[in-house]
Amino acid sequence: MKGYHDIVGDGGSRILEQVAEKQTRIAGGLAGVRHLVAVGSGKGGVGKSTLTLHLAGALRARGLRIAILDADFNGPSQARMAGVQDAVFVPGSHKLALPRTVDGISVFSMGSLIPESKALEFESAAPGDSHTWRATKEFALLGDILASTEWGTLDVLLFDLPPGADRTVQYADFLGPRTSFVLVTIPSEVSRGVVARSVAALSNGPNRVLGYVENMSGYYCRDCNAIKPLFDAPESSTLEIPCLGTVPFDPELARHCDLGIPFSELPDTPVRRALDRVTGKLLETLS
Amino acid sequence: MKFLCVPCDTPMKLQTVVPPDRGSLSVVYSCPECGYEMAMLTNAYETQVVQSLGVRIGPATDAATASGGKCPFPGMIPSSDGTTEQRAGEPMAVRWTAAAEARLTNIPEFVRPMAKIGIEKFAKDRGAVEVDEKILDEAKEFFGM
Repeated sequence: MKGYHDIVGDGGSRILEQVAEKQTRIAGGLAGVRHLVAVGSGKGGVGKSTLTLHLAGALRARGLRIAILDADFNGPSQARMAGVQDAVFVPGSHKLALPRTVDGISVFSMGSLIPESKALEFESAAPGDSHTWRATKEFALLGDILASTEWGTLDVLLFDLPPGADRTVQYADFLGPRTSFVLVTIPSEVSRGVVARSVAALSNGPNRVLGYVENMSGYYCRDCNAIKPLFDAPESSTLEIPCLGTVPFDPELARHCDLGIPFSELPDTPVRRALDRVTGKLLETLS
Repeated sequence: MKFLCVPCDTPMKLQTVVPPDRGSLSVVYSCPECGYEMAMLTNAYETQVVQSLGVRIGPATDAATASGGKCPFPGMIPSSDGTTEQRAGEPMAVRWTAAAEARLTNIPEFVRPMAKIGIEKFAKDRGAVEVDEKILDEAKEFFGM
């Protein structure tokens, strides 16, 4: 009797073929993107989204063509922070054209489609059992976005990942070996521990981990024009990946994010200079 | 999933997908050798897992299914396709030309309703009663895309 692998095709449903076709469309759509960089952590609340946006702004300020895909579908924040919350999506000649920030950064964020008062919901044949299918659905959605968007020619496409070490690895699997990772931590042992788990999980796959950024590394006091300590943690991290730099917390930066004020309007402070240094190191690592 | 007719040792072929009923799909396969037919009846979990992959189920030769016209999933799991809802006797405020409507299908289904609302507002603000490709290009330019 024939076994599964003796039979060519699946009798007509073409499910595997359709999945493969979508992967081909995704690869084709991203062919003009030089670098795919996912910004993750494993830990929530460490400033992944803020850092993603500011890295994008700093890269753009260097004349690079940049886009952000806010992959945190359930907690999208890029739309508000990038100032594209009320953007209109327009079909291009073949695919979806993305809204841009005033700096010229293309942004896809669910926050442009779903009001903050609503959660992302999917129609389902199995309501109440979303744990059995929701992750699959979200990755199918990510695939649709990647395949259906006019990415054009980009130097860097930044993915703002949701929290969770497991999710970080799932994104690595889905996005494939072309995607490199930047991990974000804060100077706390708890956060460094969670990020270490993400590093360990990613080390089992082919994706390159470019390094980590230590965010909220002190806070910038405008009155004193000095960086003061924020966390009582050992200064040196035990993470066994390169450090791309440290970025102090700045309440003014947080205000900019809430109001969607672009990176180009940031004053020349130690925080902006820190972001510039991280950006330089990132580019150096990518090249 | 593949089905094998054991007596003939021949792979069975998908014939039809019966419209869904309470989350269950009935997918009929037949043996090309002996003509024996059998139906795969899915439970809601199985239906949803396949639907979550973003694929369509139906005979590959069924043109209507391939284009989504008879796809069982959209019928069972209503999705917004961007089609403007129109109540009886109520004229649409803004029409879409066939070419503009076709361009709308280039973008993911879940984006279409929001895109449509935004573009119609853009058209109305300019005194247009019809969205055509020119309006789409103008909107694209206007929003800096």
